Amino acid sequence: MLGSSRIWKRRPLGFAAAIMSGALVLAGCAGGGAPAQNGAQNADQGSADSGEITWWGWTPDAAPANAYIKAFNKVYPNIKVTFKKLTIDGYDAAIRPALASSVGPDVFDVAPGAANGSVDIYGVNAIDLKPAVEKVLGADWESKLAPIGVSSLKNGDKLAALSVGSVFSGTVWINKDLFDKYNLQPPTNYDEWKKVCATFKANNVGCFVQGAAQTAFNEDTLQAISNNVQPGVWEKALKKEVPWTDPTIVKALTLWKGLFDDGIMQEGALGTQQYPDANNGFMSGKYAMVMMGSWYMQYSTVEGMTAAISGAGVADPKPFTQLPIAFPDIAGTGNVGSLYGDADFGLAVNQKSKNIAAATTFATWLGTSAEGQQAVADILNDIPALVSAQPNWDTVKLVNPEAQKPALEKLIADAGKSDEPRLATVVADLQTAIGVASTTVAAGEATPEEAAATLQDTASKIK
Amino acid sequence: MVGILYYCIGETGYLSTLDWDGTSPTPTSVGLQNYQDILVDPIFWQAIWHTVIFFLVTFTAQTAIGFTFAALLHSKVKLATVYKVIVFTPVVIAPATMAPVFRQMFAADGQLNWFLDHVGLGFLSQPWLAQSSTAMPVIMFITVWNFTGLTFVLYYAAMGQIDPEVLEAARTDGASNLRTLVSIVWPGVRSTTVALAMLSVIGALKTFDIPYLVTIGGPNYATEFLGTYIYRISIPSAHVGYGAALSIMLLVLALLGAIAVAARSNRKDGESGV
Repeated sequence: MLGSSRIWKRRPLGFAAAIMSGALVLAGCAGGGAPAQNGAQNADQGSADSGEITWWGWTPDAAPANAYIKAFNKVYPNIKVTFKKLTIDGYDAAIRPALASSVGPDVFDVAPGAANGSVDIYGVNAIDLKPAVEKVLGADWESKLAPIGVSSLKNGDKLAALSVGSVFSGTVWINKDLFDKYNLQPPTNYDEWKKVCATFKANNVGCFVQGAAQTAFNEDTLQAISNNVQPGVWEKALKKEVPWTDPTIVKALTLWKGLFDDGIMQEGALGTQQYPDANNGFMSGKYAMVMMGSWYMQYSTVEGMTAAISGAGVADPKPFTQLPIAFPDIAGTGNVGSLYGDADFGLAVNQKSKNIAAATTFATWLGTSAEGQQAVADILNDIPALVSAQPNWDTVKLVNPEAQKPALEKLIADAGKSDEPRLATVVADLQTAIGVASTTVAAGEATPEEAAATLQDTASKIK
Repeated sequence: MVGILYYCIGETGYLSTLDWDGTSPTPTSVGLQNYQDILVDPIFWQAIWHTVIFFLVTFTAQTAIGFTFAALLHSKVKLATVYKVIVFTPVVIAPATMAPVFRQMFAADGQLNWFLDHVGLGFLSQPWLAQSSTAMPVIMFITVWNFTGLTFVLYYAAMGQIDPEVLEAARTDGASNLRTLVSIVWPGVRSTTVALAMLSVIGALKTFDIPYLVTIGGPNYATEFLGTYIYRISIPSAHVGYGAALSIMLLVLALLGAIAVAARSNRKDGESGV
C-alpha cells in the first residue's frame, strides 16, 4: 500500500526533480517575453490596395465592425479585412504577446490613458501614421480632425493611431418604455431618483444598475458626481492641480456611498461587472437605468438594440426605447449635464506587419475618409473623428425616432462642446487607486475622508 | 522540455530585476527593489493569507468529502457508476464555462437567494459576491465543487489497493465500519493523502481562474490570490518587472510548500518504520 513512499525514499533525486518540474511550471515565463528593441518598420510594405489584413480590437461590436468593413470593401474590394473581437479585460493579455511576435495583427486598437490597449504602452509597436494622413488630408490635416482624437493618440511625436471617433460619458441611459409603463418621469434630483427607484422596486423592476466590481466604470459615475458638486475639480485632481482630498472629491465619495445606502444602486453592485452583468441587466429589461456613455447610442437603432438584447440572453428580442439623460442633480447644486470624453479607440498599424500598406489604407480610410467616417457616424457607436461627418438620420433606423432623434442630436452637439478628458490622463496605478477608493467607501470599509487620503497618498507617489 | 522550463524561470528572474511595462524598448534595471517592495506590499501578504486559508479549508473539505464518497462507493451501492459520474463530472468542466453560472447563482437576485426566500430562509439572503465576508467562502465552495471529484477518484483507486485480507481480519476481530475506516483504510491511503496535500498546496498557490472569473479578485481584494495579483500587476497595470518578482516568490513558496509536505511525509514514514 505504501509502495510509492518507498520509491520516494530510494529515489530522492527523482522526487526532487518532480517537485522542481511542477514548481517551474508555476513560475515559467510568468513575466512575459524579454524586452527587445523594436525593429525598423517592415521594408516590404506590400500593396496598398490589395491583400489580407487582420484587425484586433475590444471594440466595436461585431455588427459595427462588419458594417465598417463592408463600406470599406466598396472602395477597396481587394483588401480583405478580418476583425477579431477580444474582451475588454482580455485585450491586453492577448495583444502584448501578439505584438511581440512576428504574427500579430496588422491593425490593432489602442486607446488613450491607462485603460485597455493604452497607446502609451502599445504605441511603440505602431508605425507613424502622420505621413499617410498628410497624404490624404493635406498639410492642414490636423484642422480637419477632432483635436481630442489627435493629441490623445500620439506616442511621443509619433501619430501612433488614427482615431475612429470619440466617446463621452456622464450620461445615464433609461428604458423609456419602463418609465412610461409606471407613469414615471426621468429623475432630475436625488429625491426624484429615490422615488423612481422605490416605484420600480415595488413593481419588481430593478432601478439603476452599476457594475461596481469593474472599477474602471466607477470612475465615470464618480466624475459625474464630482462635476455635479463642483465642475472641473475632478479634472484638476487628475492634473495634480488640486489634491484628491479636496472637499469636492470627499463630497462626491459621500454622495456615491449614498447611492448604495439609499436604494438607488442595485443590491450586490460590488459583485456585479459592468460588462456583461450591468449591460445585460439593462438590455434584458431587468433594470430601468444604467450609467453608460455615448457608445450606447448604437443601441438606439433597431438593428443595434435587437442584437444587444439577443446578446443579453433574451430569446425573443423586442427593441425598446432607450434615451440618454443627464446625471441627476444629487448634490443639489444645479451643475448638471457635464460630459467628459476621449478618443474611443484608434487604429494602429503594427510595425511588424507584412501588409503595412494595406493596413495603412484601411486605418486611414476609416479614420479620415468621408465615406469611412460617415459609416462611423451612422452606426452611432462613436462620435466621428472627422469634424464634418454627422449621422444621416434619414438612413439610421431608430427604435423610436420621435423620442430618440432629438436626444441623440443633443448628446452629439453637447459632446462636441466638451474638452474634459475621461480616461486619457489617468495612469494605471491611479485608476486602481480610484477603484479601491470607490469600492472601500461603498462597502463601508473606509470613510470618504479616509479613502480620499489614501487616494491622494497613491497619487502623490505616481511619477 | 526541462531546458525550456529552466530558460523561462531564468528569464522571469531577469525580468524581476527590471522596471518595465512589457513593451517599452528601454526597461530600467532596479536590482532587487521589486523584492523589497513586495515585502512591504499589503496586497501581497493579503494574498498569502488568503492562500493559506483557502488551502486549509478546501483541502480539508475535499479530503473529507472525497474520502467519504470513495468509501461509500466501495460498499455495495446501487447505481454506483451513476454516482461516480455525477461526482467526477465537475472536474472536467472548464472554470470559464461554469463561472457565469456561479456568478448568476450567487448574485443578489440569483438562484441561491431565490431558493432561500422560497424555503423560509429569506433572512439568510445576501449579495454573496459583493461582500468581503462572503465572497471568499463562495470561491472555496466552487473550488470544492470543482475538484472533489478528483480527490474521490484517487481515494477510490487507492482503497482498491488495500489488501482485502487485512479488511477481513479487522472484521473478524470485530471492528466496526467506522473503526475499519479510521484504523485500516485511512492509514492505507496515506500516500494518496500526501500526494493530494502536495497538489493542493501548489493548486492553492496557482489559484487564478475561479476568483478571476467570478469576482475579479474583489471586492476590495477579498478574493485576491497570488495568481490574480500577478495578472493584475503584470497586465492591466503593466508592471511586468514587479509581476515577475511576484512570480519568483510564487515559485519559491510552491517549492517550500511541496518540500515541507514531502519532508513531513517521509518523517512519518520513518517513524512508522515503513
